[in-house]
Amino acid sequence: MNINVKILRFDPEKDRKQHWETYQVEASPGDRVLDVINHVKWYIDPSLTFRRSCAHGICGSDAMLINGRNRLACKTLLQDVVKDGGTITAEPIRGLKVEKDLLVDMEPFFDAYRSIMPYFINDNPAPAAERLQSPEDAERMDHGSNCILCACCTTSCPIFWVNGSYIGPAAIVQAHRFIFDTRDAATQQRLNVMNQNTGVWRCRTAYNCTEACPRDIPITQLIEEVKRAVMYQQA
Amino acid sequence: MYKGREGQWAFYLHRLSGLAILAYFLLHVISISLFVFGEKIYMAVHGGYDFILFRLGLIAIAGGVMYHAMNGLRIIVMDFTGKGVAYQRQLWYGVLLISIVWTVYVAIKVLPRVAAGV
Ligand code: HEM
Ligand code: SF4
Ligand code: SF4
Ligand code: FES
Repeated sequence: MNINVKILRFDPEKDRKQHWETYQVEASPGDRVLDVINHVKWYIDPSLTFRRSCAHGICGSDAMLINGRNRLACKTLLQDVVKDGGTITAEPIRGLKVEKDLLVDMEPFFDAYRSIMPYFINDNPAPAAERLQSPEDAERMDHGSNCILCACCTTSCPIFWVNGSYIGPAAIVQAHRFIFDTRDAATQQRLNVMNQNTGVWRCRTAYNCTEACPRDIPITQLIEEVKRAVMYQQA
Repeated sequence: MYKGREGQWAFYLHRLSGLAILAYFLLHVISISLFVFGEKIYMAVHGGYDFILFRLGLIAIAGGVMYHAMNGLRIIVMDFTGKGVAYQRQLWYGVLLISIVWTVYVAIKVLPRVAAGV
């Protein structure tokens, strides 16, 4: 089939603002959006700039705003977003500074990630074998540990668009992963980070994050669990 | 416009209705308090509210209050229970239904009076 690929482009050395460019591409319905964007770069305009690495939904580098919703280009099939003769649009994810074309500055996103101390903390001497945990306790971390830090969620959040200091759903998902880890000892510190005015209370339950997550993490549910954990520890 | 689903619109409408109610209350309190300057000034301002847009706006405010209150209950259920999050969409359609039925009821009651100029 023939489709139009409409990309929001920006070259900091030439352009004062972003502008749309449309490219005609021949593709098949089973191709992924990443394939046609690669095609544009390889055969039409090599200056097109975007991130991708694994091409299999694992590395989390190719989050884009495709047809009005945040998705991974490598996980989105053309047949799900476009018909023959139709148009797909690709824009950089919102709320982060656009460096070039579809490439944004991810540093604020990773700053938020670092602020929740995303590593195991427990100063008690480790037992001879493992730090044991029941299967039920381990299940509490199932969703959180699925996250690939793609930023689809944080950059779909209406609160984050207008207030970049909001820590964002991705960092809260990560915090949830450790807060509800029975072996971890820094629950209190993380809940304190969540309780700051850039923390979990900024979430207004708009669910854009949950709809956007390519790993099907029930993000808003996890956020609400963290909100309750903060509230009940204060009480 | 980002193509969010029910939750996004629920949030936008909640903020919009919240701000609309706030604006209405401020106007209300300020207008009423004008009575300290005497009846003439009070009546001069309140006569202005007979203007058609204010009367129709009142129907919108009535609808907005119902939406805000019902969706406020939805948010409370979501904040305190896992079920609320799981059924947020259905809850929102319930909120919309109640708000629309209520707004239509208010319009049926108020519009004839507006038309009659009472
Ligand atoms: C009828 C009873 C009311 C209920 C049950 C109610 C409930 C709520 C709730 C639960 C929230 C939190 C929203 C969230 O967490 O996302 C909220 C926000 C808000 N409310 Fe109300 N409210 C009521 C009346 C009012 C009134 C009378 C006003 C105006 C004076 C108002 C203005 C606002 C505003 C401006 C917000 C902020 C919206 C936002 O953060 O997006 N509310 N309301
Ligand atoms: S929670 Fe989901 S959308 Fe957010 S960064 Fe992790 S994988 Fe991506
Ligand atoms: S549920 Fe909360 S964090 Fe997720 S998009 Fe909505 S406001 Fe943002
Ligand atoms: S390229 Fe790795 S997730 Fe899409």
